[in-house]
Amino acid sequence: MALNAQQHITRDGYVRFFSTTPIEDIEAENHQTTALLTAEGAFAFRVPILGFRFEKALMEEHFNENYLESHTHPNGSFEGSIDRFSDALKDGEKHEVVARGVLNIHGDNQEREIPSTIQWNGSGWEIESSFEVEPADHDIVIPKVVRNKIAPSIQVTVTATLLPR
Amino acid sequence: MRQLYALILGCTLLAGTPLHNVHAQSLLDGIDAAPLAITPVSATFKDTRIINAQSNETPGKNVLHFVIAHRFGQINEGAYALWGLDNASMRMAFDYGVTDRLAVGVARSTFQKTYEANVKWRALRQNSDNSMPASLTLYSVAMANGLRWSDPSRENLFSSRLSYVHQAVIAKKWGSKLSIALIPSFIHRNLVESLSDTHDQWTLGAGGRYKVTTRASINAEYHYAIKGLPTDHVNSLSIGMDIETGGHVFQLHVTNSQGMFERAFLTETGGRWRDGAIYFGFNLSRVFNW
Repeated sequence: MALNAQQHITRDGYVRFFSTTPIEDIEAENHQTTALLTAEGAFAFRVPILGFRFEKALMEEHFNENYLESHTHPNGSFEGSIDRFSDALKDGEKHEVVARGVLNIHGDNQEREIPSTIQWNGSGWEIESSFEVEPADHDIVIPKVVRNKIAPSIQVTVTATLLPR
Repeated sequence: MRQLYALILGCTLLAGTPLHNVHAQSLLDGIDAAPLAITPVSATFKDTRIINAQSNETPGKNVLHFVIAHRFGQINEGAYALWGLDNASMRMAFDYGVTDRLAVGVARSTFQKTYEANVKWRALRQNSDNSMPASLTLYSVAMANGLRWSDPSRENLFSSRLSYVHQAVIAKKWGSKLSIALIPSFIHRNLVESLSDTHDQWTLGAGGRYKVTTRASINAEYHYAIKGLPTDHVNSLSIGMDIETGGHVFQLHVTNSQGMFERAFLTETGGRWRDGAIYFGFNLSRVFNW
């Protein structure tokens, strides 16, 4: 039990992505992210691709069927650790940290260093992160005819509050 | 106590493992994700039609779905008519999604200069967890023949131009590739050509698609007329392919039906596959958000 008490976890973390081009903005939100942070700073999150909600039904269909192929790659994930993580960060202040590890999207791994902030709110860790993902880096092919509608780099925002397990 | 031993054993094993191996296993292994929200299954078919017949799909809310479709002449016309390409029959259709479940549409075909008004309703939608195992979509269309009266001297009523088709599309998607639909239809025409012709007809159709790539599928459909058809008419059989390019769906096919509205292809199909009396054609759709 002692080990578990040192872990912090969420099952309803929030992920948003945003693609903007002069022709079209595409936005999707997901409230079903699972994330875990250990006392040593090891960090992982997992987001079910089918949980992303779009404004237009056809966008959601194309996202799952044509781009992310969520039937074969149901989750996006990150596995790594937060640099220089320690209990000393539990001072209630917002700290800039770097999460270092492997980002897996569409079954394709990329080593990433993701700048994030982390803040102890008295009972759990509030984590915020904002970074860019290039579909081409994860073997996601965007056909020429829609290349003016889908940004070559997608903005991803993650916010989650991790409570003791 | 047993849990405690297992924990100690687990920790001992982990302690001896190099870090990158720990990463190969996920920290999240053994942690259940929140159950996925149950959602309607999407993209059972790529378009609102399988080939000629309706699929279970409707345009999304506030989406205008424009379809331009051609059936060329019969392939067995040979080289002189470029295997039918010299002649084309055309259908233009506008369908509008009032809600995500309800669509209304109008169309015009060159075949018998026919106007259509239709309504399509997704009564039931298959769910991601199969708590609803299949989709049911209901479709009704009224068709008005626009040809000049064959005998203007007799009393001709507008109602004689009208015919109706009511249809149910029961569709199921298996995995990401295979979708099958059963399509029973009821056809009523106000005026028939000869006394021996029946006003009412039932057909039972089946259609399906199999995805060969993320953006292309092979499609087929067949409709069987339950009461039988007059000798110059046969059941409709079509084989085709969907190609999606993002915003557009191209459907290319060969079919023995030249008419593209329900009454025509369900009960007035004239071409016989074994004679090569089949038509090459395409449906090209485009969506606009309103």
